[in-house]
Formats: sequence, C-alpha cells, structure tokens
Amino acid sequence: MSEAAAVRPARSDSAPRARDGYLHRLRAVWMFALALLLVAVLWELYKVVGPQDGGTVFGWKILPRANDQAMPHVWQMLARFGEPERAGFPGTILTTILSGAWFTFRLSFAGFVIGAAVGLGLAVLMARFRVVERGLLPYLVVSQTVPLIALAPLVVSWGGKLHLGAFEWPRWLSAAVLGAFLAFFPVAVGTLKGLTSAPPTAVELMDSYAASWRQTLFKLRFPAAVPYMVPAFRLAATASVVGVVVAELSTGLAGGIGRLIIEYAREATADPAKVYTAVFGAAALGLFMAGIVGVADVVLMRNRPREALE
Amino acid sequence: MTNAVDVRGVSKAFNRGRPDEVRALVDVDLAIEPGEFVSMIGPSGCGKSTALRLMANLLEPTSGDVHVNGKPARKARLDQDYGMAFQQAGLFDWRNVTKNVELPLELKGWDRSRRRERALEMLHLVKLDEFAEHMPWQLSGGMQQRVAIARALAAHPPLLLMDEPFGALDEMTREHMQAELLRICGETSTTVVFVTHSIPEAVYLSTRVVVMSPRPGRITDVIDVDLGPRRDVDTREDPAFFKKITEVREALRGMERASSSEAAGPPQPAGMEDR
Repeated sequence: MSEAAAVRPARSDSAPRARDGYLHRLRAVWMFALALLLVAVLWELYKVVGPQDGGTVFGWKILPRANDQAMPHVWQMLARFGEPERAGFPGTILTTILSGAWFTFRLSFAGFVIGAAVGLGLAVLMARFRVVERGLLPYLVVSQTVPLIALAPLVVSWGGKLHLGAFEWPRWLSAAVLGAFLAFFPVAVGTLKGLTSAPPTAVELMDSYAASWRQTLFKLRFPAAVPYMVPAFRLAATASVVGVVVAELSTGLAGGIGRLIIEYAREATADPAKVYTAVFGAAALGLFMAGIVGVADVVLMRNRPREALE
Repeated sequence: MTNAVDVRGVSKAFNRGRPDEVRALVDVDLAIEPGEFVSMIGPSGCGKSTALRLMANLLEPTSGDVHVNGKPARKARLDQDYGMAFQQAGLFDWRNVTKNVELPLELKGWDRSRRRERALEMLHLVKLDEFAEHMPWQLSGGMQQRVAIARALAAHPPLLLMDEPFGALDEMTREHMQAELLRICGETSTTVVFVTHSIPEAVYLSTRVVVMSPRPGRITDVIDVDLGPRRDVDTREDPAFFKKITEVREALRGMERASSSEAAGPPQPAGMEDR
C-alpha cells in the first residue's frame, strides 16, 4: 500500500494544473495586447526616423515612405473608425466594416465547414487505405501551389454553369468554395498525422478486443488525433478567410470586407486612414475565426495531460 | 478438460522469402491448463513476445496451429476469450479511469449501467476505488498498470496474456504488483501467460517457467515451480525460491553455452559466463 500512499499527492494535482492552464491563457492574451502595442510604437517610431519619400539601401528602393499619406498615424486610423464612410453618409465606418466583416465571416465559415468536411473525409480515406495516401497526397500538395487568384474566376464560371434541378449555384458559394480550397489542406494533413499517431500497442489492444475498424477509428484514432487536429483547424479557419477575401477581390463579389479593401484602396490618396480600417477588419476577422477554434480547443483538451496542451 | 492454450508445431517467420527473413519461432509446442500461471523467459529476440501475440491472434503463425479455450485463436479473439496487458499501461488519456476499464465492455455492446457496475467492481478488485474518476495521467506508473489489469479482466476472460507488464516499474512497486497480480488471479481464477525478462519475477509468479532461446526462437526448457501458496516476503526469502532461481538461471546459461559451443566445442569455464 506504500505505493498508493506515495502517489496520493498526485490527486490534488488536478486543480493547480487546471489553474495553470487558465493562467497560461491569460498570459497569452496579455502578450497579444503587448505585441499589438509594440507594433503601434514601432510604426510611429518609423514615422519619426524614416525617410518621408522612401529610401534606398544599396541602390534598392525598399524603405517605405514615412509620410502621412502612406503611413497614417495610429490614432488617425483609430479615429477614422468613428467617422462616417463618406462625408454626409449616416453611421460610422465602423458599422460598414462590421457588416462587411459579417458578410465575409459567413462565407468564410461556410468555406471552413466545407473544407473541414472534405479534409476529414480525405484524412480518413488516406488513413484507411495506404494506397490512397500514396496516390493522393502528392496531388493535395500540388493543389496548394495553384495560385488562388487564377483559380477564382474559373470556379465562378464553372459555378455559373451548374444547375442541379432547382438548385442554382449562387455567386457567394464560389467564394466559399475557394475558402474551402485553402481550408481543406491543413485539415487533411493534420488529421491524417493525428489518425496515424495512435501508439501501436493501443492499436493492438483494440485488435485484441476484436474491435472493428470503425470502432478503432472513433474510440481510439480520432481521440488520439485531437491534439494534431486543433492546430490544423486553426490554420484552416484563417486560411478560409484568406480564400474568401481573395475570391471577393478577384471576382468582384460585393458586400464583403475584401471588396471594401479594394474600394478604400482607390481612395488611399485622399483618405489614407480609410483603407487601414478595412485591413484591420480583415485581420480581426481572421483572429475571430481562429478564436472560435481556440474555444473548441479549450473544451476538447480540458482533461488532457499538460504536455499535450503545449 | 480443454487446455487454456494449445500451441502445436508453431513456427513464425517475418519477411518470408526476403533476404532479411527472421525465423522468430521454430517448432514450438506448449499446452497450458486452466489455472496455470506460465511465464516465458529468455533473452531479447527469443520470440517470447511473438509467441504471446500468436496466442492473442494479433499475428498468424507461418505454420502449425494455436488454440485458445479449445477454439482456434482467431475465434477466441473474436469472442474476447482473453485479456491483454502490455509494458506500457496504454490507458487512453482522454478517458477517466472508470471509462478506461469500461472500454472492452463498450466494444462488446454492454449498456451503460451494467458497464459502470462492472468497472467499479474491477477497480475494487485492484484496490483503486477512490481513483475511479481520475484521469490516467494523474496516477503513478504502478497504479496505471493496475488499471490496465482491471481493464484486461473487465469482461471476465478466462485467460490473461501479459507482455512484460511490470517492466517499466521500480523494484519495490514491481514486487508489490506481483503479489497483487497473484491475489487478483487467485480471486478470479484466471489463467495467465506472462512474458518477462526477470528471473525472480518468473519464479515468484509461476507454476511453470518456459525458457526460450533466440535465433531461431524455440523452447529449450520447461521448469515446474512448486513453492506452495506465495506469501510475499516469506516466499522471496525461502531457500527453495533461490534454488528455483538458480535452476532457471542455469537453464538460460545452458542454452547460451550450447549455442556458443556449437563452434567452440568444450564447455567454457564457469567464470566466463558471468560477464
């Protein structure tokens, strides 16, 4: 019984572990705020010391212009959120950005869901059949080297020709599909790695129980894959935003944050702070998507050993 | 009476027909009766783990046949006629202790309340009642191994196959676990096949010790151990216990000598074996 007594303290370990987890997360939030502040400070610092009309280093014109037109002050950009989109328009630009971001969010989320479903399906197929993995994986890698900007108009035109009975391919679906095109890849690769990460003895154990492949998949392989799947899904969430924004830009789909970026960029000389509000909106959207996955991470990993959290 | 395990003329080769072919087991015969505790001991590569996996039907023999509980090994596996424990406890990190023990019952399709009742009963058997809701990583190595034993026995299989289950534990915990294992198997009248590297462990636990030799893997000796009911410290300090250890050690040495004398001829002086 000495053995049980010796490890008794391990029981009370659970509470501090959980608390460590929350502290860990709190610190992450802090560091994020600090990093934002640091970027703002560096921005302003460059405006002070940087060349007004750009500079050359060893004959290369690479130093950006530090004048107010190219690099508005941080406070100007922030203040711009509170002003109307155009003089005389009702409401502030913040509401315009938010509604654009909401539009893009819905498309990105649809893209994320489609991409995750496709990625999961491919990962399961590849984990089940080695042949599929060997045959398919190289093509998946190649697929990601196709420039999205070239693909976007193609998808839109293919979509326009699709009529499945009463179903007519809506334009926004093309953007979502392009988001999915970027999102499925990390999910497929990460999940595949996770599914094959189950230790051999655990697989033998399931075999010794005469468990079916399906039972092994759901009771062993998927739970074992979670630590690999969480970062993969996080990547996929932000990638789907990128995909949708690029699709908006290249197909001219109106209503989203991508379209706002283009519109505002045209006004950059007259109203330099304006385009940055849209850029911030897009960045915040990406963070929000990653945050959703982050919440899922906390829920799924709450009972896992600490090592897996790192 | 049907034997718990019947291994007849079994050979197993890996990478057959290739240059790196390995003859893991050659012509192995072994019959184990219900209630026996049989240890398999031998140096690395003697095929003892392979033999265990053949009994578990995790591997198919190249030739010969394996019966468990009077059925072909495959049928016995599908019927969950045995439980298994490995050196790594292999508990699932995402399940608490009770849920880990419930795993085999879940796969058998038992309903929730019946599963839970049996799991708690098993945890009582391995004296971990108060740890039922803990996560595996909150337990020590010895306690994890007990959970693994509870899991292996949850479906009340008549046979327990163990592959160096205490190999990763420290000596004190290990001796304690050996005594516990004998108590548990006594209470549940389970037949055990136990693979180990440790001579005292094999002698302390077993009614029979099977000595194996490598390249190719085969059984060289079977030693009966009759020490009566084991009493932890008393048995370990009993001269009869030491005598059996010596006997097993010499059987292991003997085959070393036999394999080296194939080339050298005369037996080597005693001192040289001690390296």
